[in-house]
Amino acid sequence: MRRRKTVEDWIIDSIVYIVLTIVVIAAAYPFYYILLITFNAGTDSLTGGMYLWPREFTLSNYAYFIEDTKWIKSFGVSIVRTIVGTFLGVVFTAMVAYGLSKKDLIFKRIYFVIVVVAMNFSGGLIAYYIVLRSLGFINTFGVYVIPGMLNLFFLLIAISFFSDIPEELGESARIDGASELKIFVKILLPVSMPLLATMCLFIGSGQWNAWLDSAYFVQNESLRTLTYRMMQVINQTMTPSSEAQIAAASRSSVTPFSIQATAMVVSIIPILGVYPFLQKYFVSGMMLGSVKG
Amino acid sequence: MGETDMENSKIFLKHFQKQLPFQVFVWLGIVFLIIFSYIPMFGIIIAFKNYKIVTGIEGIFTSTWAGLTHFKQLINDYNFPNLVRNTLVLSLLKIIFSYPVPILFAILLSEVRHTFVKRFVQTVSYLPHFVSWVVVTGISFAFFSSNFGVVNDMLLSLNIIDKPMQILTDPDSFWGLAVTTAIWKEAGWWTIIFLAALAGIDPALYEAAEIDGAGRLKRILYITLPGLKSAAIVVLILNIGGMLGGGLVGSNFEQSMLLGNTMNSETSQIIQTYAFNVGLAQGRFSFATAIDLMQSIISVILIFTSNAIAKRVSGTGLF
Repeated sequence: MRRRKTVEDWIIDSIVYIVLTIVVIAAAYPFYYILLITFNAGTDSLTGGMYLWPREFTLSNYAYFIEDTKWIKSFGVSIVRTIVGTFLGVVFTAMVAYGLSKKDLIFKRIYFVIVVVAMNFSGGLIAYYIVLRSLGFINTFGVYVIPGMLNLFFLLIAISFFSDIPEELGESARIDGASELKIFVKILLPVSMPLLATMCLFIGSGQWNAWLDSAYFVQNESLRTLTYRMMQVINQTMTPSSEAQIAAASRSSVTPFSIQATAMVVSIIPILGVYPFLQKYFVSGMMLGSVKG
Repeated sequence: MGETDMENSKIFLKHFQKQLPFQVFVWLGIVFLIIFSYIPMFGIIIAFKNYKIVTGIEGIFTSTWAGLTHFKQLINDYNFPNLVRNTLVLSLLKIIFSYPVPILFAILLSEVRHTFVKRFVQTVSYLPHFVSWVVVTGISFAFFSSNFGVVNDMLLSLNIIDKPMQILTDPDSFWGLAVTTAIWKEAGWWTIIFLAALAGIDPALYEAAEIDGAGRLKRILYITLPGLKSAAIVVLILNIGGMLGGGLVGSNFEQSMLLGNTMNSETSQIIQTYAFNVGLAQGRFSFATAIDLMQSIISVILIFTSNAIAKRVSGTGLF
């Protein structure tokens, strides 16, 4: 049954589409503007008045980024920590969840109490720092990937996911004498792809975006991440007028601001790359979390 | 009796042995939690001690008692009233202004008939959730900086203002900046929950209402809104539970660390960042832990108070 649009329909449709257009622009334009800065001569960008396309098109910002070993190195550290941290986080969380999802697990109740208490109470950052320091994690690559290896939010989600998988699935392998670890890796993980994809996306983006650990738990310059370097530039450029001075001193069109924008684009690209593919998973993963949580 | 006990423990052992691999998986997780969650939790007692960092974990237990010295020091600290005010005001402002946004956004989206448009808008509005606060800070910088920010630049050239606004450094604008960027980053994301709630509404309800002559607005008011009610309550509970952290729209701590600076610290410094700076920069670990603990105490008081109010007003509490 299709009826004619009433005045009310027109009004509501107009409001909806106008507001949504504003929302899309508000969400997307800032990213576009940053992209614009990176393709424009840095010194020229500082004069303002550029909103839609580059005024002095240049690739010098990207050239500078690639040539600067500090930026490239920190980019590499970010990539490695994301890959290693995501792998460890997903596998370890899934493994503990697999153990906890066993139907007649002895002491199950005690284990759950331990998990739930850890989820709701924390000792605060200072006490956490003391522990990291005492265990020798400070100033090591390990501080990026090990302390966050067990993700309690996804632990609970994974437990409920594994509990829904029939136990008979691994039975024939068990009869053939395969170890539980082997069954977990060879049989259980392959059928858990939606769960694993969701975990990879969230744990991975958490790793990629982390900055606090690099800023405060590490002093070794060769261990700094991309997000840390961006933060450093932001702090430097906080003092007005330093921008133009630095650019003038370096005799190039690249400014700290334009190079920071370049770093931001570089740090957003990997997210843009994976996120449309994982979107169907994270919507379902988020639902799972909100229902259970 | 003794014999059946023996039998029982034998069965138990056999059963236990059978699930030993599972137990080992769990133990690894428990050991991990003890190290990275429970030891820091016990570490809170250094708020009542004279702890020195060189003594490591052992020092948590062996250092001498200081009683309430650090707490007295905190209450007498000239920063303290400001810290409490900033933490509370920022958290409250965020809940008040950010809470309705995803709900309204979900309603708007539910009125879109074209699936492609709907998906496109959703995809774009989720994106800011996945970038780091550092990037959001960089974007704020590009937009609000007083010497080359887009916003100042536009307003100046349109002659709306005659000198640039000091949005990033003016203490008066920090709260607005924090709330705005938090909504920009997270509001799109949280609509997922409300859209799921809307997907659960029986389409027959809308059809029946239409046949009965209810217009679009009436259908929104009497079908869509009630359909969002339970999701809205769940989200409100989550928001209040994590209120001092910034609720669901994100981190007070990260915002205060990244958007805060020496110029606007009067409004941007919060309890958590103060503890962090005092602890890590000045090495006053016991004092910093006392501040952390103070925040937890305020948080617990808030949760219980809001629960009591909820009970009195609506008859049902959160717990």
